[in-house]
Amino acid sequence: MSATRFTRRRLLQGSAMAAALTGPGTFFGPFQHNRAYAQAKPIRLGLTCDASGQYGASGQDDLRGIRIAIEEANAKGGVLGRKVEWITADTETNPAAGSRVAERFITREDCPILIGALHSGVANAITQVASKYGTIYLNTNSSAPSEAGENCSRVKFVWDGNGTNFSKASVKNAVDSIGKNWLLLTNDYVWGHTTSAATKTQVEAAGGKIMDNLLVPQNTRDFTSYLLKIQQMKPDVVAAAVGGDDIKALRQQVAQLKLDGKPAWINNQQDWPDIFGQPESLFGVFGTTWYHKLQLPGVAEFVEKWKKMAGDGAIPVPGNVSYNGYMATRELLRAIERAGAVNNIKIIKALEGHKMPAAERMQHFDAWIDPNTHQVQQTIYLARRNAKPSDDTDHYELISWTEPQAALDDAAPGKCKLTPYEQVPTVDA
Amino acid sequence: MFDLLPHLINGLSLGLLFALIALGFMLIVGVMEQINLAHGSLFALGAYVALVLLGPKPPLPPSLLEWWLAQPMGLRYALTFLIAPLVVGIVGIPIELAMRRTYGKDPLYGLLLTFGAAMVIEEAIRLIWGTRDYVLPIPPGMSGGFIALDLIWSSYRFYAAGIAALVIFLTWLFIEKTPYGSMIKAGAHDNEIVRALGIDLAKLRMAVFVLGTMLAAAAGIILAPIWGIRPHMGVDAVVPAFLIIVLGGVGSFWGAVTAGLMVGMVVGLSGAYASEWSMLSMYLLLVALVTFRARGLFGKKSILEA
Repeated sequence: MSATRFTRRRLLQGSAMAAALTGPGTFFGPFQHNRAYAQAKPIRLGLTCDASGQYGASGQDDLRGIRIAIEEANAKGGVLGRKVEWITADTETNPAAGSRVAERFITREDCPILIGALHSGVANAITQVASKYGTIYLNTNSSAPSEAGENCSRVKFVWDGNGTNFSKASVKNAVDSIGKNWLLLTNDYVWGHTTSAATKTQVEAAGGKIMDNLLVPQNTRDFTSYLLKIQQMKPDVVAAAVGGDDIKALRQQVAQLKLDGKPAWINNQQDWPDIFGQPESLFGVFGTTWYHKLQLPGVAEFVEKWKKMAGDGAIPVPGNVSYNGYMATRELLRAIERAGAVNNIKIIKALEGHKMPAAERMQHFDAWIDPNTHQVQQTIYLARRNAKPSDDTDHYELISWTEPQAALDDAAPGKCKLTPYEQVPTVDA
Repeated sequence: MFDLLPHLINGLSLGLLFALIALGFMLIVGVMEQINLAHGSLFALGAYVALVLLGPKPPLPPSLLEWWLAQPMGLRYALTFLIAPLVVGIVGIPIELAMRRTYGKDPLYGLLLTFGAAMVIEEAIRLIWGTRDYVLPIPPGMSGGFIALDLIWSSYRFYAAGIAALVIFLTWLFIEKTPYGSMIKAGAHDNEIVRALGIDLAKLRMAVFVLGTMLAAAAGIILAPIWGIRPHMGVDAVVPAFLIIVLGGVGSFWGAVTAGLMVGMVVGLSGAYASEWSMLSMYLLLVALVTFRARGLFGKKSILEA
C-alpha cells in the first residue's frame, strides 16, 4: 500500500493550487459535483476489492493483478511522469460496504479512479457512487449481463466476459449434442438472475426447454436438497450460475456423489480462485476468458512476471480474475497517457472503442471496448477438467475459443443508456 | 411431483449437523452466561488442525510420523477426531482465562472479547494456511455415494449425521450421568450455590469452556468435507448456532438438539420446494417461534412471566 500520508491541510493546499492552475471553470462549472484534486501529486487509485465474504479469495486475486499493472507502470517512470499510488479497503462482498468504500475513496482519499469488482451487486453499488461524482470505475471481474446493460454507466468500463457471452459460446452445441431438457441453478442475486435469463434465452432459441429454475441463496453451504431434486427431475443438462464459495461447496458435494457425469453440467463461468485448491471437484463444461497455459506468445513471460511480483500468495499462478485486474489497470494507465491528462472525460474517450490486439492481450482474437456499452468484447474460452495435467496448476483442458463477435451480448446496447458527456461531472486530478 | 421422503431424510441429517454445531455454543452460554463469538473460529480451527493431521506431512517427531503415516486412513481419521478437538481445547484455555475479567459484568465485555478472539484466530489461520481453500481427506469407505429410493445419496453425509448423533449422545451421557455433569448443570442453574458447596467455580468454568471449544472443533471436522475448508468458514457456523440456542431456549441441551433438528427440517424442505427461501426459512422459524414463546422451546421461565 502507498506509504504517502495525506492530510486535510495538504488536500486544501493542493486543491487551492489546482484551482489556481486550472482556472475557475473546473470549480465553478455548471456541474454540482465537479471535483479537482492536486495535480502535482501522484495519481491515486482506489482499489475496491473484496477481502471477505463470498468473493473474498477472488477479490484478493483481482487485487494482485491490479497491483502488478501499477508496479509495472511505476517501474517505467509512472504515468504522465507521475507516480501511481493505490489504496484498498475490503468491500466485503457486500453492496453497502462497496458503496461506503467508494464514497470514502472519492471524497476523503482523493481517488479520481476506482478499480475492482467481483460481485455484481457490489459493482452496481460502486457504480452509483462513481456516477454521482463522475469518477471512472473499472469493473474488472463482475460478469452480470446487467453491468453493461441496464446498469451501465458512462464512467464504468466492464472488463470480464458476461453471462450472455458464455451462454452464447456454450448453449447451442450443448442443446444439439446433449439434450433439450435443461434445469437452471441460479445464485439468488443479480449476476445469477441475469446470467440464467441469458441462458434461458439461448436454450429456448436453440429449441431446448427449461424444466425449472432453482434459486440458490447466497452463502448456501449444503446443496443436498438441490441435488436430490435434480436427480428426481432428471434433466439432460444443469446450467449453473453459482459463484464464489457457493460453487466451491456445490462442486465438492457433486463430486462426492459422483453426479458430475449425468446430468451434464454447464457452469457458466468458473473463476480461477474458485478452482484452485479443488481441482478434483472440477466438472462439466465452463467458460473463462484466459488461462495461464494458453499456447500464445507472451503468456509464459507474463506468468513468470506475475509469479515474481505477486509474491507468496495463496494462488501460485495467475488466472482469469487476476488477468482481468491486470489488463483493466494496464489499459486504463495507457489510456491516461493517450489522454494526456487525468481528466475523466478525456480518459473515457480514450477508452471508448479502443482496440486491443490479441497479441497484447494474450488471447486468440483481437478485443475492443464497445463504445455503446463499455464492455470489453473478447475471446471466450470453454474448458473442462484436464485429465492429463502437465503440472499441479494445469487444471483446465480448453475445448474451444469463440470470437468476440460470435459471443456478443446483442441485447446489451438496447438496455444500456449512457449519460451524455456534458452531463457527467468532470474530475481532474 | 417428486417424493417427500428423501427431503425429510435430508432434513433430519442436516438437523443433526446443525445440532452438533450449536452444542458447544449452548454449553458455554448455559453455564457461563457468555456468548462465545469465537465459536465459529474454533470450529474452523478444528477443521484446519484435522487437515494438518490428515495431510501428507503432519508436524510430528520422525519416529511417530513414520508410525502415523503407516496407519490406515480410517484409523488416522478416528485418531484425528480425538486429537484435533484436544488441540483446539488447549487454544480455548487462554480465551477462558482472558474472559474471567468479564464474568459478572456487562455481557458486552464478553461479547467484545470473544469477537476479538474470533478475529485473532481467523487471521492466524490466514497467516498459517493462507486464504486458499482445502479439502479434508476422508477414509475411502466414507466417501462416494450409494443408491436408495432410486436416488444417489452421499455416504459421508450419513456418516457425518451418525457421528453427530453419537457426539450428541456422549455429551448428554456426560452431563446427565456423571458427577462432573451434575456440577455443570448446577453451575448453569445457580453459580453462587455451586461455589457455596465448595466446588471450584473457576475450574468448572474452564472445563466447560474447553469442552465447548472441543465440541466446536469436532463439528468443524465433521462439516469440513461437506462445506470445504476456508478461513472464514466459521461465519457459516456461528450464525445458525446462535439462532438454534435462541430457538431451543438458552442453556437447554434438548432445546438445542430439538431446535437443530427443526432448523434442519425447515431448511431441507424449503430447499426442495421453495429453494429461494431455504436460507431465510430458519430466520422465519425463529421469528415465528419467538413471537409466541419468547424464551424458546425449552428455555427457563422468566420471573416476568406469570
